[in-house]
Amino acid sequence: MKKLITQLGIYSVLILISLEILVRIFYLGEDKPTRFVDGKSVEKWVPNQEGYSVTGNRNQNFIRYNINSSGFNSYQEFIPTEQGIEVALVGDSFIEGFHQPYKISIGRKIEQRLNDRVKVFEYGYAGYDMADQLHLIKAYEEDFGLIDRIYIKLMFSNDLTRGEYFIEESRLNLESPVNKLLKKSKLLVYFSEIGALNPARNLVRDIMAVAKGGNAKEQPEKDEKEVGRAHEIYLENFKNLVALYGYNKQKTVLLMDQSTTPQLFLDYLDTNGFEYIDFGADLNASKRKTTLVYDRHWNNHGRDLVAEIIVKDLKANLLDTAP
Amino acid sequence: MLFNSLEYFIFLPIMFVLYWFVFHKRVKVQNALILVGSYYFYGLWDWRFLFLILASTAVDYFVGLMIYKYKEKRNKQRIWLWVSMVFNISLLGFFKYYNFFVDSFVDLFETFGYTIQSTWTLQIILPVGISFYTFQTMSYSLDVYYNKVKPCRDFLSFATFVAFFPQLVAGPIERASNLLHQITHKRIFSYDQIVAGLKLILWGLFKKMVIADGIAPIVDDIFLNYDTYSASTLILGVTLFSFQVYGDFSGYSDIAIGTSKMFGVELMSNFKFPNFSRNVAEYWQRWHVSLSTWFRHYLYIPLGGSRVTKLKSVRNICIIFLVSGFWHGANWTFIFWGGFHALAYIPVFLMGRNTMYKDNVVGEHTFFPTLTELGQLILTFGIVTFSRIFFRSESLTDSFQFIKGIFTNFQYETYHHPNGYRMVDYFILLAAFVLYEYRIRRDERNPFKFKSKAVRFLVYTLVIFTMLLFYDSGFDRSFIYFQF
Repeated sequence: MKKLITQLGIYSVLILISLEILVRIFYLGEDKPTRFVDGKSVEKWVPNQEGYSVTGNRNQNFIRYNINSSGFNSYQEFIPTEQGIEVALVGDSFIEGFHQPYKISIGRKIEQRLNDRVKVFEYGYAGYDMADQLHLIKAYEEDFGLIDRIYIKLMFSNDLTRGEYFIEESRLNLESPVNKLLKKSKLLVYFSEIGALNPARNLVRDIMAVAKGGNAKEQPEKDEKEVGRAHEIYLENFKNLVALYGYNKQKTVLLMDQSTTPQLFLDYLDTNGFEYIDFGADLNASKRKTTLVYDRHWNNHGRDLVAEIIVKDLKANLLDTAP
Repeated sequence: MLFNSLEYFIFLPIMFVLYWFVFHKRVKVQNALILVGSYYFYGLWDWRFLFLILASTAVDYFVGLMIYKYKEKRNKQRIWLWVSMVFNISLLGFFKYYNFFVDSFVDLFETFGYTIQSTWTLQIILPVGISFYTFQTMSYSLDVYYNKVKPCRDFLSFATFVAFFPQLVAGPIERASNLLHQITHKRIFSYDQIVAGLKLILWGLFKKMVIADGIAPIVDDIFLNYDTYSASTLILGVTLFSFQVYGDFSGYSDIAIGTSKMFGVELMSNFKFPNFSRNVAEYWQRWHVSLSTWFRHYLYIPLGGSRVTKLKSVRNICIIFLVSGFWHGANWTFIFWGGFHALAYIPVFLMGRNTMYKDNVVGEHTFFPTLTELGQLILTFGIVTFSRIFFRSESLTDSFQFIKGIFTNFQYETYHHPNGYRMVDYFILLAAFVLYEYRIRRDERNPFKFKSKAVRFLVYTLVIFTMLLFYDSGFDRSFIYFQF
């Protein structure tokens, strides 16, 4: 038995080391940038980081990211001016764009389509919801005051679950000393990225749920009544956020998929003069795939369509040209 | 509980430690542990169907004793044997074939112009593994009847023999003469045997997770949308399915055999590199060996086997293949699949070439196969792969439409993976897999036979690394043969 345990132990360690080496050689584990909360209580990436974002088991999507001095992934610095025309895109991972080369991001596509007459600053951060976004705009109101038009990407069912901003500890826990140490192992990062740790995570979650007297099985889907109640809560959260952090209706536009947004919210926006544009119709109507192979983010074609929608809006409402 | 689940990799070491270090002093206590563990293993899927296993166990235990009791009275023995046959086949008949018979009966009447509003079909769940454990318990009663084994008087041991978790749900279908005495006798802790078991588990996981699960989405897509694809894609689909079903089932068998080894029990080999068969007869000596030998011993030989006239032998071959097809599933597609194999086997049999490759492998004395052997391999693989169209299709109509597509829509098209992955990855993977299997073709129980420790270690690492490269967390990872 001793021999068995010793041999198993030695082989396990050696295999893990070999796998770590192989993962590094083939660059399968992505570089995880470091996040932090700045002096204005805004969660963002630590400025001036570079690395590679990797998606897929076999390194199928290999993208370089560049965190600028504002703490966001972009090819340029965000320096709004009185004279120039600046546009801000505020949103989650779709705007952050770790899944795309930053030189062909949505913002860059808009700039190119408008012959660099405007500068587009992409304030994207994975996991941002409406509270994060409005708080960011409020926290950096001087900068946003200089920006001429602001687009906020909003997914109604995900982004309005809270009515007030607070720092998301669960995200920041990813920067805990233990997690930082774990991130040093590319193999572990790779395991996590490909979902190989999911069974273990699910098992722990189920055990904890049972230990707390709950049910390990997934919650049943909400019925219509519950969905309706949730929508009302989300609407109240929206109103609350607007009241708390302000909202410049003159230059702020919500970027939404109208097909997944309840009529209740659309009616409220119409009645109260909130501008919004729909990206869903064009994406859904596209004959070509608009999302990436390895995850649900927009691919180059999807980003083209979204950029085109924003360009049309800019031409119609900000620039002195016909749409 | 699936062999390729986290639950199993928690369950297995716990069982192992309890078995060898807590309950190792008495074989009865070890058996009790295995029995409880096996019922837990099965009960995680659906505990209600444990009663079926218990019923099958109790009936055959009693039948075995009764057959032995009346050893001087053949008629009474025969009656008791029939009790076992009727009971087990009734279980199968009801849970697996009831709706098939009702639907076929209704269809038959409709072909004669009578329309029957069938209200007889039932919502029946097919208990996992029922085809395997009923065949195993029947084999016990048959072996006692044919005086090949003495009946087991210890119910605990017999129940352990029936429910032994490594092979409970998808075989290998063991015969009492091989497994029962291993259960009743004390097992010895053997480092070499356990290590050999671990190696087989690793190789089985590779075949399941990489080969079978890796290409499953492609196969699913092509068989689901066969009417939109040209011949080249359809051929690709059925060829990949051939690899998928092999990887899936032989992978399962390897894990089962490997797990058994860890408990000091040797199960029979179930797959002996069937893709390197030189004719269809050899294929059946290498594919799902435990089922083939079951039918051979309990159906083909009692019918006269090949010791009767040629005509009767051909009849026997047809019967055994049709029944084998029907065993796989309650669908006409499986019966056609069996019939197709009978048609492919009969010429080999009539030419007297059905046993000529029994004791040797391709490239027996050289590393590479001769050109003739290579031709034989390709032809056999082609025949077997073609038959899989019936095996994989949902209905006979689909099967024939699929075949029609191959022969009428003959043009080349570039196939794109349904999830957008690079197809070339899969082609490289399969080519490497075939070459590796060819290298180890002489010993299915030792997939990592290398003299150099360093090379062996390198291969382990590459196998695990490839498992990571093709791991798909969003894929349904159950085994194909569970549905049988």
